[in-house]
Amino acid sequence: MSANLDILPVAGRSPTGLLARGMNAVGDNMAMSLGILLAVFVVLFSFAGGLVYHVDPYAIHGDAIFQPPSAAHLLGTDQIGRDEMARLIAGGKSTLIVSLPAALLTIIVGAIYGMAAALGPGWFDKSLMRVLDAILALPGIVILIFFAALIPLNNLSLILLLGLTSWPGLARIIRNEAIAQRNRDFVMATRQMGASTWYIARVHLLRVMAPILVVNGTLLVGDSILALSGLSFLGLGVQPPYPSWGGLLQSGLDLIELNPYWLIIPAGFLVFASMLSASLIGNALVAGWGGRR
Amino acid sequence: MSAILKLDDVSVALRRGKARAMPILDHLSLEVSAGKMLALVGESGSGKTIATLATMRLLPRGAKITGRIMLGETDLLTLDEPAMRRVRGRDIGMIFQNPLSALNPTTRIGAQINEAYRTHTGHSDRAARARTLELLGEVGIPDPAARFDDYPHQFSGGMRQRVMIAMALACSPKLLIADEPTTGLDPLVAKQILALLTRLRRTHNMGVLFITHDLSVVEEYADDVHVLYAGRTVEAGTAADFFAAPRHPYSQALLGAIPRLGQARLLSIPGTLPDPEQRPSGCRFAPRCAWAEPACAESYPAPQSLGGTTAACRLIAHIPPFVASTNVAAGQGRQSHAAGTLLEVENLTVRYARTNTSLISSLFGTAPKFTALDNVSFTLGKGECLGIVGESGSGKSTLGRAILQMVGYDGRIILDGEDFTALRGAALRRLRMSVQVVFQDPRESLNPRLRIGDSVAEPLKFMGKSSAARRQAAAGLLERVGLSARLLDVYPHTISGGQAQRVAIARALAAEPRMIVLDEPTSSLDVSTQAMLLNLLKDLAKERGLSYILISHDLAAVSYMADRIAVLNGGKCLEIGPSVALLANPSHDYTKKLVDASPQLRPSTGSLQISQSIQSRQAS
Repeated sequence: MSANLDILPVAGRSPTGLLARGMNAVGDNMAMSLGILLAVFVVLFSFAGGLVYHVDPYAIHGDAIFQPPSAAHLLGTDQIGRDEMARLIAGGKSTLIVSLPAALLTIIVGAIYGMAAALGPGWFDKSLMRVLDAILALPGIVILIFFAALIPLNNLSLILLLGLTSWPGLARIIRNEAIAQRNRDFVMATRQMGASTWYIARVHLLRVMAPILVVNGTLLVGDSILALSGLSFLGLGVQPPYPSWGGLLQSGLDLIELNPYWLIIPAGFLVFASMLSASLIGNALVAGWGGRR
Repeated sequence: MSAILKLDDVSVALRRGKARAMPILDHLSLEVSAGKMLALVGESGSGKTIATLATMRLLPRGAKITGRIMLGETDLLTLDEPAMRRVRGRDIGMIFQNPLSALNPTTRIGAQINEAYRTHTGHSDRAARARTLELLGEVGIPDPAARFDDYPHQFSGGMRQRVMIAMALACSPKLLIADEPTTGLDPLVAKQILALLTRLRRTHNMGVLFITHDLSVVEEYADDVHVLYAGRTVEAGTAADFFAAPRHPYSQALLGAIPRLGQARLLSIPGTLPDPEQRPSGCRFAPRCAWAEPACAESYPAPQSLGGTTAACRLIAHIPPFVASTNVAAGQGRQSHAAGTLLEVENLTVRYARTNTSLISSLFGTAPKFTALDNVSFTLGKGECLGIVGESGSGKSTLGRAILQMVGYDGRIILDGEDFTALRGAALRRLRMSVQVVFQDPRESLNPRLRIGDSVAEPLKFMGKSSAARRQAAAGLLERVGLSARLLDVYPHTISGGQAQRVAIARALAAEPRMIVLDEPTSSLDVSTQAMLLNLLKDLAKERGLSYILISHDLAAVSYMADRIAVLNGGKCLEIGPSVALLANPSHDYTKKLVDASPQLRPSTGSLQISQSIQSRQAS
């Protein structure tokens, strides 16, 4: 079909009716509000929960082993009698404190690496991409385990470890997208005005690539929580007896035959809620910046 | 002579979102006869594409259509979907503007044409192959048997359009619908396609419904003309009568907007096409019409016949008729500028590496290179406009990009005494800034995620202006190019292509350039929008002493703008000279062919006088 279906939208007006536009605006706001609500809930739960719920997450209650939720233990206890609610609170703190900065670090490193490859000279791009191939050739978990075995594990080292090992995939996406965008007419026109490469990367490319960054960023938060859980499961992440959401979920799943819903559903919900909120906020941000790609 | 297709009082309403059905096309009646070509003419938004989609029953879901669409003795609107599917392709063939996206890139063209044939006839593969080879020969593909197994990307644009035509002809349809089939093509190729369609419709006695926004395309080929404006017929008649004496003010304005040889100023239509929601209840053209009276707004005027065409205008008897005359302005006012030289291009050569080179040869620099531009030299005067014409692949865009320092080159480019090749870093950036650019696709040339005000003010940022000063300057520039300062805070997708192109011009002006490279600045726009932009560019040149390099395959637009024209072919400059002399007396065969392919360059029509009469009307 020729491009003539353009007749529908007309200059200066949104193609949809007033009502539909209104619904869209409310819809965006609702998504944003729900995202923020979930984020506030998750953060408050993890960081302020301990102020309200004074149970020691490491204390073993010998009288209440593997109990479903009750007045004494709001979300029940695990197989050695530790309070699940308290452990979720403590686990949230240790999970978020590592995985959020790690995801942010991944995005920053990936974006810089990808942009540098796309905007630098050809030989530079080629070398950076071969390095990338080499890293991608190894399974991420192997690299993680290798370094986790070498360095002392604490929050900072875990952030660096996760952040500095998971960027290659994103870097490749950013580089390919930046190459597709860098010769668009508006970039050429900006160069003609004397813009530096740094300016073009920062103002033009970053803006048109914002949706990609946000979508991948929200996925990375999830990946990062997952990777941390994986490491924790192998005993290389958050160290026992310190809990993490991934670790708690894992131990619930180990007992799945006994139907320990209180060990699975709350932990699963928290992981789900943090990922959903990241994604809702991200998409609403992109919509709010306006314009199209 | 019998009507193959007859549209009788057809109206189409589309649903937009949750809103009520929106009338898009109202009371359209037309007839396409066997062996004849009807040109359905209108700008974007006129409803011409909706009319063809309605005929093919391919309207979007929720569309409401009334009236009758008779194909022979059948009313297409009464057919059920399976019956309609048999009609499409068998009785009605269709070709589109962009043959590359209409052909499946992963399937050999022979197989695609076979498919079209076998779907409707149920013939064997072998019979289909014989038919396909015959068709390919008929549409002028050399050596059909050898090309049968080629993929679409192995064909040039014109050849692809021929393949599309072969596919549309596979079942010998009675009617061919051609939706802007020549719009993206070079004039030489477009001319060949039109000649092919003319030959085919005569030999097959096939009716052709030709959709276009550009009257100059069909001037020589159509039998009948039907002009649409904002969803309604404004004028219809035989092509001979229409082009001899168009009656409706809109038809006259459309003709007046086409650049012609020696024209002093193009006629531009004030205002914009009304939104479908806000179409006037009376004559829809009245708000933009130079002759409009209050009574015009009361009800839609009944069509009246006068001088061979039927026009929907109350005042038809009062509007001066078309006066055929020779072109009086030709040869006037086209002296070259004596104000001195701005740009010198010396022995400019650009070579590109071929894309499919091996790693080793590219490492050692022995990869074969393709010469896009071969030893081109010329000068550009201060305040002068130099037109660069040629087909795609002639190197004209490469020339523009070399002047803009966007590609590497051999030779020298000197701007006002400063040699680009001798400069580095900040000095080079500063000199580059004085050469600005306006690209072909206005949507691509604005960052979709940057507000228009920020885009326009961008060059001022590099000059170190404060944000308040930038905003004020951007508002001033928008007003200078005829846009409201209200657009400062909107994003590019909310404005029209013509408006976006004005924004691009405003941004170029913000850099305070000494010259602008205009790379096909109006090729993707409607004729009346093109007229507005070309007039604006002309005014700006005079006002600011700007020089232009205008790159275009549209010789007519170039002849209107340029003081001198350079003809490029195969990377070489064939000839360069003052526009009027060069077009009147082309010394090179290739230039002659280009001039021949632009019918509007012949000094035969009297549109000049029409536009003068309307302009004096608009002024008063």
